[in-house]
Amino acid sequence: MHEFLQFTVIGIAIGAVYAVAASGLVVTYSTTGVFNFAHGAVAMVSAFSFSEMTVTHGLPVWLALVVVIGVEAPILGVLVQLLMRRLFGASVERSLMVTLGLLLILLGAADEIWGGQSSRQPGQLYSGATSYSVLGVHLTVANLLVMIVAAGVAIFLGFFLKRTRTGVAMRAVVDDPDLLAMAGASPARIATMGWIIGVVLAAVAGILIAPLQGGNLSQTTLTLFVVNAYAAAVFGRLRNLPVTFVAALGVGLGETYIGNYLQQYEPGFTQNWLSVPSQTLPIVFLLIALLILPQDRLRAVGRAVTTRIPKVASLGQSLVGGAAVVALALLASVALGTDWQGIVRQGLIFGIVALSLVLLTGYAGQVSLCQVTFAGVGAFAMGKVTGGGSWLGVLAAVGLSAGVGMLVAWPTTRLRGLYLALFTLAVAAFADAWFFTNTNYLFDYNHSSSLLIKRLGLFGISFEGNRAEMILLAVAFALASILVLALRRGVFGRRLVGLSDSPAACATVGLNVKATKLAVFGISAGLAGLAGALYGTNQGFVGALDFQFLISLNVLLMLVIWGARSTSGALVAGLCSAVLLQKGGNLSGIILGVGVLVIGWLPNGIIGTGWPMLRELVRDRSPGEAPAPEAELVEDAGHAA
Amino acid sequence: MPLDPITHMALEVREVSVHFGGVRALDSVTFGVMGGTVTGLIGPNGAGKTTLFNVLSGLQTPDQGRVLLAGREITRKKPHQRAQLGLARTFQRLELFWSLSAGENVRVGAEAVVQWWHPSHIRQTLGRGTPVRPGGPGTPAHGSAGVAALLERVGLGGLDWEPVDGLPTGQARLVELARALAIGPQVLLLDEPGSGLDDSESAVLGDLLVELAGEGMAVLLVEHDMDLLMRVCSQIFVLDYGQLIAGGTPEEIRANPAVQAAYLGSAQ
Ligand SMILES: Nc1ncnc2c1ncn2[C@@H]1O[C@H](COP(=O)(O)OP(=O)(O)OP(=O)(O)O)[C@@H](O)[C@H]1O
Ligand SMILES: [Mg+2]
Repeated sequence: MHEFLQFTVIGIAIGAVYAVAASGLVVTYSTTGVFNFAHGAVAMVSAFSFSEMTVTHGLPVWLALVVVIGVEAPILGVLVQLLMRRLFGASVERSLMVTLGLLLILLGAADEIWGGQSSRQPGQLYSGATSYSVLGVHLTVANLLVMIVAAGVAIFLGFFLKRTRTGVAMRAVVDDPDLLAMAGASPARIATMGWIIGVVLAAVAGILIAPLQGGNLSQTTLTLFVVNAYAAAVFGRLRNLPVTFVAALGVGLGETYIGNYLQQYEPGFTQNWLSVPSQTLPIVFLLIALLILPQDRLRAVGRAVTTRIPKVASLGQSLVGGAAVVALALLASVALGTDWQGIVRQGLIFGIVALSLVLLTGYAGQVSLCQVTFAGVGAFAMGKVTGGGSWLGVLAAVGLSAGVGMLVAWPTTRLRGLYLALFTLAVAAFADAWFFTNTNYLFDYNHSSSLLIKRLGLFGISFEGNRAEMILLAVAFALASILVLALRRGVFGRRLVGLSDSPAACATVGLNVKATKLAVFGISAGLAGLAGALYGTNQGFVGALDFQFLISLNVLLMLVIWGARSTSGALVAGLCSAVLLQKGGNLSGIILGVGVLVIGWLPNGIIGTGWPMLRELVRDRSPGEAPAPEAELVEDAGHAA
Repeated sequence: MPLDPITHMALEVREVSVHFGGVRALDSVTFGVMGGTVTGLIGPNGAGKTTLFNVLSGLQTPDQGRVLLAGREITRKKPHQRAQLGLARTFQRLELFWSLSAGENVRVGAEAVVQWWHPSHIRQTLGRGTPVRPGGPGTPAHGSAGVAALLERVGLGGLDWEPVDGLPTGQARLVELARALAIGPQVLLLDEPGSGLDDSESAVLGDLLVELAGEGMAVLLVEHDMDLLMRVCSQIFVLDYGQLIAGGTPEEIRANPAVQAAYLGSAQ
């Protein structure tokens, strides 16, 4: 009983921090319509700068608090609002990409400034380790402080949103933007307030969580803790603050009870199944929160800001493009040094992952943040079937990942946009924390440190050599892109685009929306699984770190930059991802993030926008030869473009 | 081969109610639409017409009440199942596939119902060709020829490869009409198809609706253009604040004092 009370106190304290973070998310979302995926990164950067000032430079705590919470966070909030303003009225998917870009920038900046995964001492918010004893339960100053702050935040938000003019206007935005304009409030000012409050609350949460984390800060724990806040916010449907608050406390308590119970009474289970409960449980909570969301009704959405899809390449054109890719790969295998050859090989593999995203996100409008996870599942099948490195393994890889893809899609066919993205993020994080690092005999992903996969052979040709492997990968990419374009030209492709533009209209002409979503997830995940299997053959082994969430994010954002609806975009995106991962170091996140922020407003990406513009230019120069109508807006004419 | 107008209840609505918070959008609405006729549905803004269409097409679950399609209960069917049973609709706020061309929009509709085992597919494979007038009840558009013929029929001939996001509203509405017709529906629900159409387009639309009814289709038409309604409807029902306040021939409705009160009361 005593123990139970003790855990209750700890659980409430942790829940209180989640509540602060989650209410920040909710305020921002409900005033701006943007879900801030960079929320945790903001918390992390704030906690790090607080610790930098107090621990490293010996600034007094009050001064550091004023600087971080009173100056740094609001400035960041205003900056974000300035970035987002351009995206007003843009689709959920687009603003989502931008906050993901922001996440990468903040992570990269922290890496650059504070160096890698190294953990730091949190700043001392209070001196001494005094703790009080109430009814035999220890109550540390840290616990007490967190609870007081959370209560303060709750009271402040309640007062601010109900009693002040700005607050009332902020609540009105959710219900009726027109009403707001009538009341004379400026939407831009409201949105700025929404961002400032959101960022400040993230900063407060970041500074508060540090002492509760056993006295050290690391980037991963800080960024991950926000997953719990996501769960709480989703329980509150991203709108309801009181429900979010209660849910946050519930999540904190649940995490503490379950984590401690498992560690004490089921150590075997913990060892075998949950390498780190504190990392796996939050994700499980988020998954549950998303799974119990009510069915999303099919709704008429009217006209969103859409873009014309450039005309799709014909079969002939895609064959020529495919041949060009293989020819270029051959050239690269002669002209480039070993180092760069390796990068190109990896780039071709990421290119196939990007192709799977062209189908899923570019055509069908379904955002997936776990595409590389599907690749990891493929590599797993490849490594486990017939000793690793057979065509049967490739088949198994495609089949297993397609199956897993459909399994992931099954509950999410009810969800869309943001919730779908969150669900795939949770799946990716869950696989990172549980599947890829699992040492349980059943799923043992990698016996000791890696799962061995041999190179393939075909009709007596071995792909042992790196040049042969390069050709194999180029052929695989070419075939995959020809397949994707063929699908797009056919019945299925039209359905996918229809699904992306208006699911309601699809249903009312007799299309089974759920089945179509399952099918596209299956095909796309299967393609990603193929990439995973090839990744294994190329590298010779796969390990726990090969298929992490951040790599999914990398490939997705890179594809958005180059053009999510274009197969040549996929090739360039794959190659650029490989270059960044191999050569970019700390800067890669920043480069990619800035790229997304700059290009984010071009819905067809660099290639989808640039190619037609180039043709336009050429046509202007030579007015004599009007192009045939079919030749208009042809993208993907050559992958080399 | 034009079918004789069939006088059966193609669509029945029985005591359907829907509320949104405190608003009673539909209050125990009951009526029916005959096969082979064009039936009008009118009412002031916010009367519940679009909500009723959403209930009929399965996008909105009613609090109570039943919907029958050719005598068959479809209240619990999903939207796509209703479409496959022959119910098509258009939207008041256009709901096109904006990144596709006009022809591709129509094809998505046609391909959702035309499968390899479908009679019209088999007919075409056997060399009997596309129906001359695709889009009638039971004659979905099939293949490029069918789609082109259907576009021609709604007055959009030659716009097959025209991107819809560049079309004027009137023509975009006609694309939606063609997409709905592409499934060869028995019952067609049109939510203000005439708004945004110029006079000549509107005249073409009126003729087309009469022609479709002549082929046996049941058309339910929500429209504010009284001239169009008077010209094509054999029956008109009137909704006001979610309640059905009148029903009858166009002349009866025009003369009905309750209808005049509803319109005058809300319009001014
Ligand atoms: N999704 C919804 N949520 C809340 N209220 C709604 C919703 N849809 C419709 N309503 C309300 O239901 C009532 C009926 O609306 P509906 O759109 O069906 O009217 P209508 O007859 O189509 O009007 P109009 O001629 O303007 O198109 C209105 O009061 C409307 O505000
Ligand atoms: Mg309406």
